[in-house]
Amino acid sequence: MLRKEQNDLLTGTGPDTPMGRMFRSYWIPALLSGELPEGDCPPVRVKLLSERLVAFRDTTGRYGLIDEFCAHRGVSLWFGRNEACGLRCSYHGWKYDVTGQCVEVPSEPEQSGFARKIKLRSYPLVERGGVLWAYMGPHESAPPLPEWEFITVPPSQTFASKRFQECNWLQAMEGGIDSSHVSWLHRGDLNSDPLFKGARANEYNLSDARPVFEVVESPGGLYIGARRNAEGGRYYWRITQWVMPSFTMIAPRGAHSIHGHFWIPIDDEHCWAWSYDYHPVRDLTETELGAMRDGKGIHVRYVPGTFRPLANSDNDYLIDRAAQKAGQTFSGVEGIAMQDASLQESMGPIVDRTKENLVSTDNGIIMARHRLLRALKAYTDKGVVPPGVDPQHQRVRSAALVLPPDVPFTEGAREALIARPAVAPASV
Amino acid sequence: MSSAAEARFRVQAPNSLPRSVKVIALDGVALPVVERLGRTGWRYASFLTAVAPDTLRDFAGETRSIPHEVSTADLVILVAGPGGQAHAASDIGAACSLRRVMTTGFLVGTAAAPQSEVSKTLAQLRPWSLMVVIAGSDDYLDDMMTALRA
Repeated sequence: MLRKEQNDLLTGTGPDTPMGRMFRSYWIPALLSGELPEGDCPPVRVKLLSERLVAFRDTTGRYGLIDEFCAHRGVSLWFGRNEACGLRCSYHGWKYDVTGQCVEVPSEPEQSGFARKIKLRSYPLVERGGVLWAYMGPHESAPPLPEWEFITVPPSQTFASKRFQECNWLQAMEGGIDSSHVSWLHRGDLNSDPLFKGARANEYNLSDARPVFEVVESPGGLYIGARRNAEGGRYYWRITQWVMPSFTMIAPRGAHSIHGHFWIPIDDEHCWAWSYDYHPVRDLTETELGAMRDGKGIHVRYVPGTFRPLANSDNDYLIDRAAQKAGQTFSGVEGIAMQDASLQESMGPIVDRTKENLVSTDNGIIMARHRLLRALKAYTDKGVVPPGVDPQHQRVRSAALVLPPDVPFTEGAREALIARPAVAPASV
Repeated sequence: MSSAAEARFRVQAPNSLPRSVKVIALDGVALPVVERLGRTGWRYASFLTAVAPDTLRDFAGETRSIPHEVSTADLVILVAGPGGQAHAASDIGAACSLRRVMTTGFLVGTAAAPQSEVSKTLAQLRPWSLMVVIAGSDDYLDDMMTALRA
């Protein structure tokens, strides 16, 4: 459980909240590059950390992320015209460049310099690995650009998607480090989903639904090790990485790609669930990419023209009780991503953690909260840069491997837990 | 904020009974950590130290039997430092296993310890722990206890 004030502290991410300010220490994924494919393309509405913004790409290809509303009379610039190196308000023609600087106010004499006195809040937006990253913190504190491995491998080796999730970021993120649910909620998919099936790891998973967990602090967050018995008295380990504030990387399976998530607050009751798949040493195959686009693995199918999952709260996630009864799915919801999202959203927009009854196997969640609260205090009281900002904390990998029984997994998997270009992942 | 609109429709009745947590220091590294923890006032936790592989003592100096302590626990937390001195882990762990009591192994003081010393303790705790925690700071134990409603 958490006390109410702790729950409020961690779940509130607006611009005037402690957690919101800490979130603004990081480069966060804001858009897929494909949403702004070329100069002068249509602008995109973006809501992040409880701020309404509009993203656009100007004639020269530069990215802009600015206050959504025109400084004149508060019209949404999403209705604007993206033309000639600026976004022009459709109402009276005020025009803004990618920095939010007003460059033209048609009703005022050009020589008056009035336009120079108008500037909308803007944030840097950069492309890296097929994702547009935003930094929403103080200009003078901008950290180095992100170095997550999935955005540093060649484009042919990586795939990312995002989906709208109707709950607070924290309960969604906590689902990502709650390793003990996999053997239950996802058991029907391990041997059928094209992005999971065929790995020896699945047999370990399915033959032992009660793994033993070990949780260890890492420089950027946590290592969460799930241990199962393997042959010859050894242990089979699946090691998940959590890097603050909301990055996870799930242990790989066989020769499949590695995958994981970011959970980024839209506002306090909605978040973006980002999902990535990549392979450090090979291209993703057309079959794999087709499956990802078709919503397999940790990805979803969408309501056409949106990033809202096709299975959503309005249609009870298309729950199939017959499939549930037949054991094809454990919860009746199809697909790993929506199995997670349906249950996380069912907790309510912001779950009341004063009422929960955690157990010992929830230590990954407990320690993540502990680390977030500790980092939040250090950041708020002393301005200490939180873990996960340093690119060194981002060059990590999850791992799956078999180790002797007395070896700390952090020692046995020391090399495997670091991202190294052109080195294959440790996977079983 | 926190689900104010939603909370109106949630049943407000308590949904759990208190759980009994026993925190046991297995070695000299763990002892001051558990002693400090015991002084901070917990409703449902009691604190013990292993003075021999098969003997426990509370902080009032009373000797306690392992079977009795385990039989009245919902969770036993075994606290130990590096160096492989957690000899009592097996007797306590076996008693927990017999009575199907959940166990958590908690390693303290690992920050500056050689991995070989951590390994020695891990080898003692792992067979008997259904959850193992290696925290960077000992105050995590406080947060864990709070989270578990101790």
